[in-house]
Amino acid sequence: MKKYLVIFALVIFCLPPMVEASEATQLEADGDAGYRKVGLNWLMNSPVEANTTLEIWMNESSFSDTIDATKHSMIRVGNVSGLQQPGFGEWYDDCSYEMGDGAYLPVYRDSYGVAVVPQGTIGVNCTLTGLPSGIEIHLAVLTIDADENSILSSSIASTSIVNDVETVVIETSPYIFAIGSIALSMIALLFVLRWMDNRDGRNTSRSAHFYIAPAILALSVLTFYPVLYGIWLSFTNADQSHLGEQSFIGLNNFLTVISTSGFFRVTVFTLVWSVVNVAAHIGFGLILAMALNSSELKGRSVYRTALLLPWAIPSYISVLVWRGLYEPAGALNDFLGTNLNLLADANGARIVVILVNIWLGIPFMMMSISGALQALPKDMYEAAEVDGIDAFSRFRFLTLPNLRSALIPLSLLGFIWTFNMFNVIYLMTDGGPNLDFDGPGSTDILITYVYDVAFRDGAYGVAAAWSVVIFLMLVAFSWTYMKKTNATEAVS
Amino acid sequence: MIRNASSFSMGEDGDLARRWYIPAEIESLRNLFPFVLVINLVSFWLFILREDFDSAFSASMQFLVSAILLFMLKKLDRGKRFIRDGVIGISGLILLLSILQFLSGPQITIDIWMMLWSSIPALWVILSVSKPVVTLWASGKQTVHSAELGLSRNRKIKRFHGMILRHIALLHAVAFVVLPILWILDVALSPGNSLGGGFFEIITMEHFSNILSSDSFWVWARNSVIVSIGTTMLGLALAIPAGYAFSRFRFRGRDYAMFSFLLVQMFPGVIILVPYFLVMKALGLLNSSLGLILAYSVTALPLCVWMLKGFFDTVPKELEEAALVDGCSQNQVFWRIILPLSIPAVAVTALFSFLAAWNEFLLALTFNTSEDMYTLPVGLASLISSTGQAWGDFAAASLLVSLPVVILFIAFQRFLIEGLSAGGVKG
Repeated sequence: MKKYLVIFALVIFCLPPMVEASEATQLEADGDAGYRKVGLNWLMNSPVEANTTLEIWMNESSFSDTIDATKHSMIRVGNVSGLQQPGFGEWYDDCSYEMGDGAYLPVYRDSYGVAVVPQGTIGVNCTLTGLPSGIEIHLAVLTIDADENSILSSSIASTSIVNDVETVVIETSPYIFAIGSIALSMIALLFVLRWMDNRDGRNTSRSAHFYIAPAILALSVLTFYPVLYGIWLSFTNADQSHLGEQSFIGLNNFLTVISTSGFFRVTVFTLVWSVVNVAAHIGFGLILAMALNSSELKGRSVYRTALLLPWAIPSYISVLVWRGLYEPAGALNDFLGTNLNLLADANGARIVVILVNIWLGIPFMMMSISGALQALPKDMYEAAEVDGIDAFSRFRFLTLPNLRSALIPLSLLGFIWTFNMFNVIYLMTDGGPNLDFDGPGSTDILITYVYDVAFRDGAYGVAAAWSVVIFLMLVAFSWTYMKKTNATEAVS
Repeated sequence: MIRNASSFSMGEDGDLARRWYIPAEIESLRNLFPFVLVINLVSFWLFILREDFDSAFSASMQFLVSAILLFMLKKLDRGKRFIRDGVIGISGLILLLSILQFLSGPQITIDIWMMLWSSIPALWVILSVSKPVVTLWASGKQTVHSAELGLSRNRKIKRFHGMILRHIALLHAVAFVVLPILWILDVALSPGNSLGGGFFEIITMEHFSNILSSDSFWVWARNSVIVSIGTTMLGLALAIPAGYAFSRFRFRGRDYAMFSFLLVQMFPGVIILVPYFLVMKALGLLNSSLGLILAYSVTALPLCVWMLKGFFDTVPKELEEAALVDGCSQNQVFWRIILPLSIPAVAVTALFSFLAAWNEFLLALTFNTSEDMYTLPVGLASLISSTGQAWGDFAAASLLVSLPVVILFIAFQRFLIEGLSAGGVKG
């Protein structure tokens, strides 16, 4: 008995000094609230005051500091007059609150979609979406009061293993029907074409349509059909809970896309990411290709083989290796003698992911430009050298104009590839730091964010709308680029 | 006679030679020093990051002095001997500064690199500016004959300097490429999961034996092998006939079909990802090898078709015509004549689709979410998850996985790159 008293005294003694903020207590979590959903409810130890913020933090192991955890969502406490009180099922953080009377009401939403509860709230009950499945999740609530005093709930709820079983069963037959009808109509088309060729007496092509049939069928069933289906999806409310029974909702998904809080930011970063990368790939590729472009160079094949390595190594491996190098304890800090943690800082992480992608993409450009350089006439350079033209002018007035026809398609191709480069950002930072659940993270580009929307939040319709928007952006960009480059070509 | 540089005497070829002659050494130095300035800036910035402000100050001094040196090198001309003496003095100063700075700071590899970048150019300036040729030129007492000799000597020296420049650029690039690879080798061979520390201090094979004895690695490898081989077979079965037909036959719909292959190649994968996932889900092909095989063989199909078409175009048509005249059927021509001739091209295409399937990450991550269906890319990435970072095991596994791929790639680089540029850039 004495022992317990001592422990009790110790516990009392160790309790932090009282802060104003009320602490969340009695957290209870449940990993079985639906596909990748977690239920969480808690009680505040005193009614919350206005201008307090409640943040839900999560991690895959227990934690006592938010540094180790990820923020899932937040609830503001404040004035709710004039705010909507939408129902459940539409938010990644479906919450309801009670004010001591035991009646749980859905939270209000401000114009940004952030949950708002009135002051005096005692209990909160949430269903959180988009959690990693197959493992336990640990959750805690951080209270931040009006004076920025914050207190992390000392009780940390751990869920059971988060459910990974789909509640929705999709009907297979419509898909089979669609695929079958596409396949049949392609076969019919090929037969008609063949019959027309026969009628016209084209001899050489008698079996041509049979030869291309397998590839055409595969392409139409496994590429064109999904593309069309994806465009259709972008106009429906397909998501985790409405799959198979999705209905047409017009342009709503596109509105959601455009009104996403980070839409402009993520688009700008994607453009910066693509342009900087392609410029660096072509710039460094050109320098290295020109350095290699001499038959007198000793060790040329050794250099070339070494420089090809970033292309030869599987990209996911290189990216993870670079991530290790950039870790605070990693070799980069040892090598530079510094003490940096670039991945934890938004701009640092942006620079890092761009650097890594530059590393990955140079060899392809180097080899492509090498091929183009070797095709340039040698005597042109000899004539220039005899005339005493210096190296820079030779580059500026002979090499560059002659490479133009190769560089334009290469840069366009590089742009499209970089625009859609998923591995680097997903594996380096996964969009973080400052990863929020209701918008893109600091280093997210469009494609990594689409992946999150689709496979973390399960919002397939919105993700399809994002994809269509991305595709339109790419088409618009490629179109203007082609126009511009052609136009200048016509002038010169 | 000392001529003013601005005076211009027409008709005298010899005087032209004197006017034109600038020792190649000086020109090379003028081109080199901007790079030295850039490196000085980099080291200044690095010292700021290290919060070593004394060194940062001396780096900024070095930048300043190097800038002055560059300015003087630009001003150095025929008959300006005093500038030449100043150049030598200032380079001596830089040499001294860089050595002092190196001795005062921590001496890790990058410091040696910075020291070399400030001291070697300075040394080079001293050596080349004090050459008799340059001295003569700077004193302005050069004869016409020696200027003509110098002009022809310049060409040789320039070529030599160009080579050195190439080597410097390439060595830097190689270091940038090779350092991460060396580092991962070090992590694989060091005990524990430490990421930093000494290079190759203690060598252990524990990570390799961990990986080779773990069941999951072999499961992932098996999945990857099944998927890659399946993709290669299916992809070739689809691509060879199509490539052949596009190369040989003129038939109705050919242009549209070829255009659709091009179009698909331009499609960003993202627009397909979500519907692909849903279709695969509806067909029950998630968490299976077949789903990935289907997806990969179709994604690689356009490029494979274009690569093979490019090759079939190079096979002489006369061969087929002769066989047809001799009574072969079109199918026999394809199976008996064209296919055996194109084994090299087919092998390269096969290698290409194998590598693409072996390295693909996004679809594998999306489609196969249960751990016993992971392919190697997803499996390896799962070693570095937020739950546990088994860097040592990851390093060992990644070396094991990439070594065969890298060897194949390097061995067939010429063909792969040719094929890719035929399919990707031309197409």
